[in-house]
Amino acid sequence: MRSDRRKILAGLGAGAVASTFPAPWVRGLRAQEASEIPVAIASPMTGVFAFAGIEGTDGANHFAQYLNERGGIAGRKLRLIVEDTGYQVPQAVAVFNRLVAEYKVPLFLGDSTGFQKTINEEVNRRGLLLAGASFSSEIDDPKKYPLQYMPGPSYSAQVGMLLKHIAATKKGARIAFVHSDTEFGRDPIAKSEAYAKTLGLEQVEKIVTPPGSFDVSSEVLKIRRARPEFTIFHGYVMAPIPEFMKQMKEARVETQFMGTFYSSDLGILQKMGDVADGYLGVNAYNYVNQEGVNGPAMEFIKKANGGKYRTNSYLQPWTNLTLGTEAMRRCLEAGKEMTGANLKAALNTIKDYDMGGVIGVPISIPGNSLGVGRIFRANLKAGKMEPVSEWIKAEA
Amino acid sequence: MNPAILDFIEFSLAGLCVGALYALTGIGFVVVYKATRIINFAIGEFMMIGAYFFFGLAAQAELPNWAAIILALIAAGTVGGFLERFIFRRLIGESAISVFMVTIGLASIMVGLVEIAWTADPRSLPTFLPDQPFFVPLGSAEAFLASKNGWSFIIVAAIMAAFITVFRFWRGGIALRATAADQQAAYSVGINVPGVFSFAWILGATTAAAAGILVGSISGISSAMGAIGLSVIVVVILGGLDSLAGALVGGLLIGWLEAMASLYIGGEYKQVATFVILLLVLVVKPYGLFGTHDIERL
Amino acid sequence: MRIGSARQTYAADEAIFKTNVQRLWFAALAVALVLLPFVASDYWQLLACLIAVNVIAAMGLMILTGFTGLVSLGHAAFMGVGAYTAAYLSNHVALPFWLTIPAGGFVAAAVGAIFGIPSLRVKGLYLALTTIAASFILQSIFFNWPAVTGGARGLSIEPASIFGHALVTPGAIYWIAMPIAALSVWWARNLLRTRVGRAFIAIRDRDISAELLGIDLLRYKLMSFALASFYAGMAGAVWVYLFRVITPESFRLLESIFFVAAIIVGGLGSVRGAIFGAIFMTLVPEFLKIGASDLAPYWPDAVKLLSPVRTIVFGALIVGFLMFEPLGLNEIWQRTRRRFALWPFRT
Repeated sequence: MRSDRRKILAGLGAGAVASTFPAPWVRGLRAQEASEIPVAIASPMTGVFAFAGIEGTDGANHFAQYLNERGGIAGRKLRLIVEDTGYQVPQAVAVFNRLVAEYKVPLFLGDSTGFQKTINEEVNRRGLLLAGASFSSEIDDPKKYPLQYMPGPSYSAQVGMLLKHIAATKKGARIAFVHSDTEFGRDPIAKSEAYAKTLGLEQVEKIVTPPGSFDVSSEVLKIRRARPEFTIFHGYVMAPIPEFMKQMKEARVETQFMGTFYSSDLGILQKMGDVADGYLGVNAYNYVNQEGVNGPAMEFIKKANGGKYRTNSYLQPWTNLTLGTEAMRRCLEAGKEMTGANLKAALNTIKDYDMGGVIGVPISIPGNSLGVGRIFRANLKAGKMEPVSEWIKAEA
Repeated sequence: MNPAILDFIEFSLAGLCVGALYALTGIGFVVVYKATRIINFAIGEFMMIGAYFFFGLAAQAELPNWAAIILALIAAGTVGGFLERFIFRRLIGESAISVFMVTIGLASIMVGLVEIAWTADPRSLPTFLPDQPFFVPLGSAEAFLASKNGWSFIIVAAIMAAFITVFRFWRGGIALRATAADQQAAYSVGINVPGVFSFAWILGATTAAAAGILVGSISGISSAMGAIGLSVIVVVILGGLDSLAGALVGGLLIGWLEAMASLYIGGEYKQVATFVILLLVLVVKPYGLFGTHDIERL
Repeated sequence: MRIGSARQTYAADEAIFKTNVQRLWFAALAVALVLLPFVASDYWQLLACLIAVNVIAAMGLMILTGFTGLVSLGHAAFMGVGAYTAAYLSNHVALPFWLTIPAGGFVAAAVGAIFGIPSLRVKGLYLALTTIAASFILQSIFFNWPAVTGGARGLSIEPASIFGHALVTPGAIYWIAMPIAALSVWWARNLLRTRVGRAFIAIRDRDISAELLGIDLLRYKLMSFALASFYAGMAGAVWVYLFRVITPESFRLLESIFFVAAIIVGGLGSVRGAIFGAIFMTLVPEFLKIGASDLAPYWPDAVKLLSPVRTIVFGALIVGFLMFEPLGLNEIWQRTRRRFALWPFRT
């Protein structure tokens, strides 16, 4: 009995090793067809950000289909190689090293702020272009991160848009920040506090919640005393925002709830239930089911998904790839080699570019970020996000 | 009324209600430990599968809430019993540390299975609790208590009362206590000890699932929600691993401490504050507040 | 089959290498380790560095758990202490890596000894659970002490340099990581042959008996915690030079669990077990990932759908080894070796 089990265990082990043969210890750079341009994506498909990674992978694959149907990149086809990182930096670095050794990729898409910071020098050394799912304010700096870019405004730019909207709605309004105690949650807070002051807003409370805490009742009690007119959430995806809003409503605090990119997706807001009605969110893109949005890209997305709703994490790699492949096209057409520096220079020449409906205005990318966003209001009865502002340009 | 005192009372109420949920999960943990001496590190994941079963039955299969809750509890209990029968019973006689690590491995397996069955998307549970908040009158002022907190406190109190009755008066409960006190003696008076083990796991898993459904209805569910298990571990060490009363007191105490930390220090120090208190208590009372001291002989 | 031994002294009996054949194999291994970076791709050099870091840390945990019998679920946090120390010293004092790495070890050892104090009263599973407290308290300090740790954003450091030559690539860091890992193993192996090592094992087997034999429990338990944390701190410091960025989210409870899993899978209570476990647990997820991506051309959703399977395999390995092979990979290794040694007879 026991030795049988050992055999099974040994068999499983041998199987695991055999399944990887021919593994990369015998592979160097893989044979590559000249008609293809490979792009590597390290995406979190397990762990806390798995929902975004999986959605993003679909977005990337659809984009490749879309682009290749339209002639690819200056006649060459885009080929994606996707790997899971578990939202862990060492895993992402390993994926980076492996894929960069196996394929000659001009563009790499990463999964997190931590990874993009860690790999920065390696990217500069190897000379390739890097983008990712991070909107970290720190990475929005072309001097420190010369070969990186991000598919939207940084978190502090996003909060800045909300603050400006508040200041325009009500002078000297009372505001409160609610953010998680993570790198993601803390990212824009210090800058936004200062910005709120210059706008003449009165910050009455700042709530920090530890990651993974399910109960917010004592935080609600705190914020109930402060009676803010506007409450800005940042650093969450869903929990604990819905419970926060429910309890605030129960406690009869009249406040306008607001949030940044990840907690402004219609799908997430719908899951939060009725309390999320009227929530104001910043998005960098149009919503997939938004009315009056036209353009070849958006039409392709609607068709490819058969009317199924896709979150804004789906449009993130879509945008990254649109910009990245456009930079490659410009490089190739100018007869330049696709090095990181050349690609970034080509990327920065993108001016008043039409995103095919993904973003409502023509965009430019002078530095590291695509600095436009728009504020939407959740109308859950209609199942829509309705724009309440024009497209806003981010201020540094 | 002095606002500082009102603050204290309001925060204490909120903290005790959260503490009740900790206590309930803690009991799910202690029942298993008492009978089998197994540290169930997967307690948070048992909560998670309970909540997901409820989600699957109520939101996806669209059963009425009460039926979904009952079926989810039965399903979670079945999982507990199944794991006991096919994994933990085979590990009887192994060192406690090994079995502890097995539960860590199981936690990881459960997370993976949930991600395959329901994907990693965060979700909301259907609401089944009324949403009228409580306003507790305090002289001239009123203390606010959120509806879910109040209701979960009431539900937990009812479950606790049932538990105490079972343990005091029902044969099975007495058999469990007898097994906990002395396995050899329990065998010799004709108690079906393996049966007690299965019963303890079923009961533990069901209790954890009930707590999971309540927690999930407050915060929503995701495949990462098992992290709550860590707070529960703090609760049971503080109370004493093998004491039901300890889980009860420990749960309420930790819930209250968290609320106090949030009031006087800041929300980000909630968890750390409880860990610091835990270390201090353990230096004075190494077996927790109510835990049985092991007498070591050579 | 081998013929009998000619050991006549205790010293010979305790020798690490007992035959020339062993010395020969060991020399071959050493040559292979030296040649590795010249033949391996960047990816394998990185994995080799990760394995080296994990071997150092797992070796430390093996001393604490495998030899002294004290389970710790805070090991990764001590790695973090070492990593932050090295980064701080490199940034603010501009010390070279060959000073910051041991410094990381010493600071981690001091912190580890402090958190080891409860082990004097708290035993067994209670202790395992209290070490989680160490993990959370340290992580909170990493988060909330921006002057030293850079707060939530963490720290970045300059690459290690030797004679003005910056060690940037994993291939270069390998020459730091591998020798330290080799030294750690060598030292741990020798520790077992000393009074201290034997005291540890006596404590593991029965601490009250050990005390009756005159072993000072206070001293040796704290020493074990300090030693384990020293290893963890060195591992963390090497880690920092490998990745050059550190954030408080780098060393979480999950990483601590990884190390406990590694030494269990490797085989508790043996030096070899720590090495096997660290190698195995680092490589298996990578292999599974490569397997899934090799399927991608035929099954486009393979990576997406198979990713949760890796989480399951991680758990299943722990459960499977504990149920069916509780002595771990080391036992498989010894069984295999016995089979060859006894050939042509069967066990």
